Amino acid sequence: MSIKNNFKKGLNIRNLIIFSTLIFCINNISAAEGGPCKDYGKCDEFKYSLNDMASLQRGASTFLNYCYGCHSLQYSRWGRVATDLQIPEELFFENLVFDKSIKPGDLMTGSMSKEKSAQWFGVAPPDLTLVSRVRGDDWIYSYLRAYYEDSSKQYGVNNLVYPGTAMPNVLVALQGNQKLVCKDIPVIANNGGEKRDELGKTITKEKCGYLKVEESSGELTKDEFDELIYDLTNFLVYVGEPAKATRERMGWYVIFYFLIFTALSALLYREYHKDYH
Amino acid sequence: MSYWGAQVIISLFGAIPYIGESLELWVRGDYYISGITVSRFFALHVVALPLVLIALVFLHLVALHEVGAGNPEGVDIEEYLDDDGVPLDSVPFFPYKVLNALVGIGVFMTVFAIIMFFFPEGGGYFIEMANFEEANPLVTPEHIAPVWYYSPYYAMLRAVPDKLGGLIVPDKLGGLIVMGSAVAILFVVPWLDRSKVASIRYKGIYSKIALAFFGISFLTLGYLGTVGVTEVRKTMSVICTVIYFAFFLLMPFYTKYEKTKEVPKRL
Repeated sequence: MSIKNNFKKGLNIRNLIIFSTLIFCINNISAAEGGPCKDYGKCDEFKYSLNDMASLQRGASTFLNYCYGCHSLQYSRWGRVATDLQIPEELFFENLVFDKSIKPGDLMTGSMSKEKSAQWFGVAPPDLTLVSRVRGDDWIYSYLRAYYEDSSKQYGVNNLVYPGTAMPNVLVALQGNQKLVCKDIPVIANNGGEKRDELGKTITKEKCGYLKVEESSGELTKDEFDELIYDLTNFLVYVGEPAKATRERMGWYVIFYFLIFTALSALLYREYHKDYH
Repeated sequence: MSYWGAQVIISLFGAIPYIGESLELWVRGDYYISGITVSRFFALHVVALPLVLIALVFLHLVALHEVGAGNPEGVDIEEYLDDDGVPLDSVPFFPYKVLNALVGIGVFMTVFAIIMFFFPEGGGYFIEMANFEEANPLVTPEHIAPVWYYSPYYAMLRAVPDKLGGLIVPDKLGGLIVMGSAVAILFVVPWLDRSKVASIRYKGIYSKIALAFFGISFLTLGYLGTVGVTEVRKTMSVICTVIYFAFFLLMPFYTKYEKTKEVPKRL
């Protein structure tokens, strides 16, 4: 018995070492590589909600109205999107499909030729079916909200998340003119609080690189625009893996089954174990 | 990333002297990674390797049937037999061993299902994010990270310098030899271990220290394989590679001369 106890203790310590080493490594990986959102700093966190049909439907509408002109979804089919998003096919085809020759089984191959668009933009707009899996949803959500005016660029805009991006800010009419501004930021003292002068006024320092939308230059308020991008990103997450919501729903049942299975077999094992101990 | 991973792994064949280049061409089936390579690798992984796995499972069961299983205490149960010649401390495979395995299977399947249903991409470690992008031979990634289970060996491959003390090793050959022997050395462990006892429970302090060093250096190598190369990291991976091999090559000495605990006669 004492041997067994010793062994268990040894195992625990070893596990602890392994775990702390792993955590150390994982922390290092994320620290060493620099964020994927570049000048934007840390990407804004995005939490998908694939069971929110209204959000997905709004996202699909935004995508087909603003993005589909240049970007295809070549691994996805019209009918499947309509079915999955619970949009009645007639409504879907009447309002969201602009080419009347398209059938539900057709792939969403886009409407612009790759060669021509490469000439026009310098690079052909990429297919976006799997973009949420290449870049991640956080990235898309941050990227689409990180455009700012930059007159040195071809289209007058640049992006903090993807500096030098070839895509113009298609949603500028909705978002309004976003600019990089400087702000007075309170200086943080060594003790973690704000630094103050003798009169008790907060000492500030000018820091630049903040995004600010010119007031009422766009159709939507900041919150409305963020919501629009949320729905759009949510839709792209859906397109990247249409079965994702199903898989996560099924997963609970399967795990529940295996937990019961493990518990029963452990009990049975314990019962039989008594035969020889 | 798989494109570049395949590029790196196949180019290793090219490091073998004389036959390397033609071997590389033969494996790839083309002058560069192409549809031909993809379909033959698909056949290899989906048809050939599962057949090998089935054969190995069969051999495993045969061995289990013929020789019997060991025990974690490392006690030889053949010493005490009953009148029929069956070891007194043994139990039948069914139902005892089967039930034991069933618990393990249950735990494994639970973890497996959690990963499969909720984290299939494993943060880009199980399914790499770059695999969702079309392969582009014109854009070489900044650093090519191998899949996680290869990364310790990949780190060893990169740890070997091109020139070893004036002796010029042909391109990549040194790394290939090191990487290959890192796996091959596992097969000779039964002859390297000179200890009187089989189980770590009764081994002395040297073995435990050696094992701890080995574990740490292996994990460090695993981490180093996933990140880009810098001078410090290169030095670290050289040190860890040396520790990795020292664990095996010094095994005959530290297992022979350490003080071991007494193994009980019976289980």
